[in-house]
Amino acid sequence: MPDQLLAELREALGPKSVSFGGAAQLLYSRDSSVFPGGQPGPVCFPETTEQVVACVQAAVNHNRSFVPRGAGTGLAGGAIPCDDPVMIVTTRMNKILEVDKQKQFAWVEPGVINLDLSRYLLGTGLHFAPDPSSQQSCTIGGNVANNSGGPHCLAYGVTSAHILAVEVVLPDASVAVFGDPEGPAGGYDLRGAFVGGEGTLGVATRVAVRLTPDPPAVRTMLLDYQDVGTAADTVSAIIGAGIVPAAIEMMDQKVIEVVEKFIKVGYPQDAAAVLIVEVDGLIDGVEHEVERITEIALACGTRTVRVAADEEERARIWKGRKNAFGAIAQVKPGYYLHDTVIPRTKLTEVINKVYETAERYDLLVMNVFHAGDGNLHPLLIFDPQEEGIMDRVLAAGEEIVQTSLDAGGVLSGEHGIGLEKRRFMDRLFSENDLDAQAKLRHTFDPDERANPHKVLPGGSSCAEINHMDKPPEGTWV
Amino acid sequence: MNLPLGLDPDELAVCVSCGLCLPHCPTYRVSLDERYSPRGRINLMRAVEEGTLTMDQEWFDSLDTCIQCLGCETACPSGVKYGSLISGTKTAMAQQRTPGHKLRAGLWVLKHPRLLVWGSRAMAVVQRLGLLSRNSSLWPKKIPLRRPKSTATATGEVVLFTGCVMDTWMPEVHRAAEKVLQASGTAVMLSGTATGCCGALHEHAGLTDQAQQRAQRVMDSLPGEHPILVDAAGCGAALKNYGHLLGTEQAQEFAERVFDVQEWLAKHPERLAKIPLKETQRPPVIVQDPCHLRHAQQCHEAVRVVLAPVAELVELDDEGLCCGAGGSFSLVHPELAQGVRERKMEAIARAGNHEVVSANPGCALHLGAAGAKVRHPLELLAEAIVDPQEPGT
Repeated sequence: MPDQLLAELREALGPKSVSFGGAAQLLYSRDSSVFPGGQPGPVCFPETTEQVVACVQAAVNHNRSFVPRGAGTGLAGGAIPCDDPVMIVTTRMNKILEVDKQKQFAWVEPGVINLDLSRYLLGTGLHFAPDPSSQQSCTIGGNVANNSGGPHCLAYGVTSAHILAVEVVLPDASVAVFGDPEGPAGGYDLRGAFVGGEGTLGVATRVAVRLTPDPPAVRTMLLDYQDVGTAADTVSAIIGAGIVPAAIEMMDQKVIEVVEKFIKVGYPQDAAAVLIVEVDGLIDGVEHEVERITEIALACGTRTVRVAADEEERARIWKGRKNAFGAIAQVKPGYYLHDTVIPRTKLTEVINKVYETAERYDLLVMNVFHAGDGNLHPLLIFDPQEEGIMDRVLAAGEEIVQTSLDAGGVLSGEHGIGLEKRRFMDRLFSENDLDAQAKLRHTFDPDERANPHKVLPGGSSCAEINHMDKPPEGTWV
Repeated sequence: MNLPLGLDPDELAVCVSCGLCLPHCPTYRVSLDERYSPRGRINLMRAVEEGTLTMDQEWFDSLDTCIQCLGCETACPSGVKYGSLISGTKTAMAQQRTPGHKLRAGLWVLKHPRLLVWGSRAMAVVQRLGLLSRNSSLWPKKIPLRRPKSTATATGEVVLFTGCVMDTWMPEVHRAAEKVLQASGTAVMLSGTATGCCGALHEHAGLTDQAQQRAQRVMDSLPGEHPILVDAAGCGAALKNYGHLLGTEQAQEFAERVFDVQEWLAKHPERLAKIPLKETQRPPVIVQDPCHLRHAQQCHEAVRVVLAPVAELVELDDEGLCCGAGGSFSLVHPELAQGVRERKMEAIARAGNHEVVSANPGCALHLGAAGAKVRHPLELLAEAIVDPQEPGT
């Protein structure tokens, strides 16, 4: 009985922390992905671990599924509710519980916003390294679920490398802690299994994050090219020389053009591609790396190398990169973005194939991505109002995914599998691989109660979501 | 096709639901609920336009609680014109149901300057008898019984827009503006009672007809080409929006004559340099940017330009998040407004609890009611002017 479920949840959380009405149902049916949205059950805003336990217990009692959700900035549909689940929205669990500067970790609640944590730490000489482009909005819980990345994850590693422990409410409503903030505690690394689980293994209610010392010196360089291939070769040459910059980002000519039009950061307008390379560390080491990167870049055929003279110029160079997606959205109101990762040595080949694919489907494509670790973000840009456009966009997207897999790549660098890419999973993993993953999932969640129909392929799917002919207006992707 | 809210479908389509607006929305920051966020509100507008939702009580609640600070518009990387969307929505909402009686009564008084003056005197007396709160977000701690004498002249190079409530309740700010402008070698005349209220609060409440009537009256009373200077950020934003509100060339030309006082001074450094300032610096002050200056007019840096020679300026670390005053917002949604204000008060505490400057009367009253000491930047500047009787002090 839905009324009993609702009453039970309201009893446990208080009436103001459980919503069940048209507006709430609509707004919690979607995240930032292209998918038109599912159907949520009651929307809950717990503030404590005990309240999350109550939400999961209520779902168990009434044989419902549940979906954990942070700020809803995910791009793969990971937080879209299927089958009227209890929505467990963790945004009000937003306290920073403990900061241990000596041991360099912090216990935080999952609803803490990524950038708020870094702001809170200003002045301590420490920071939380993963910096997804959505860091001003996305939550630590969401970062854990998707094993999120960001420009600076090249040198520092993605989220998994920065999560020391998690307290989890398991799908049977029991509470367990995986990992230990003071170092590996022995036994199976369930922390490692949980990070990137996209909410299919339980709900994180407390997270111990690693705090990284701020680098004493940072240099940011802007390199420009007359062709994308030379830019890609430079990336390989830098890494091949044993240098691991903090970040290497690439933008192609079309991105440069729109970024300059809307943001005016001073990128060379006639370049076919630019690289942003950032190095950090001790001042002497940083200066030496800038010299070596300059030598390597010029030897590869880089047209010009510009080193930001001051913090203002550095901020300007990054501003263009960080606002690129928004600037692109001003060209046409819809875009579909993939997140595959390919071997760096295949960058030129794959990017050229991406251009070919887009041309064949008569679509505009722009590339802005984490070149250092080969994490592509090709954006197909379109007007959702155009007749039949979605078929072309989805077909081209699928071809881009296949091109990446053929080059030895993987499906997702940082956005997760969610609803979006589960249908591609069997192209990457063997039957045995997938079976092992399914067994892990079933060990945690034999009833598939936690965020059903996500990550692993097969089974029924969320009604119309996998068969979308027309995206909703103004979809981001 | 007639859509329920009559919004421009192209404007509505620009939002890609990325959620980057969320932390810049004061009501989302307090509620942490999509229903009180810009992304949520836009999706609710879409749902009504598409016919998938009706304008029920839950829907009204989400849209009513928008403070219209436009922090989301500044933050949006896709350039969504949220201000235009919410203003169209508010208009449609006001046609569906009349605003509450408290708000209607307040808005009616604003249109009647004489009533405002006499009503205000009555309030001043009642307050002195201890029967009216000294801690309200809506009126000063000490409502003035009479206004200090203006030093403005009948003719001048610029018009100082005196508005309605501010002229009655905070006349000292207008006097400070006059003193500063005159010290910069600028002759000032006043807009006067014939001009009256700018209509900002009427527009805020979705009463577009009334706002348009106010706008026409203001424009008719201020013909000519003199720059019109405003010392209340909310009124300044409203005046600058007349072109959009009325959609006429005349209104657009009028709007182009409007400047915030600080903005105008910063644009005329030669006049700013003429102001003779005392050599002693005052204690540090915290700069609080009113949303109508930072997000609507986008000229908040000017406050820093004019105050830099007078005091050490301390910045807040909350990226210009709204304080919760929002015109009549604190009247209609006191609980939410207080939650938003708590965040601002915490930011003020983190910045060292110094005196605060704010170029908008609404923010000053709202923060003042929570115990902050808030003054207008022009008051500080006026105090720092060397007294002509005592040259060299």
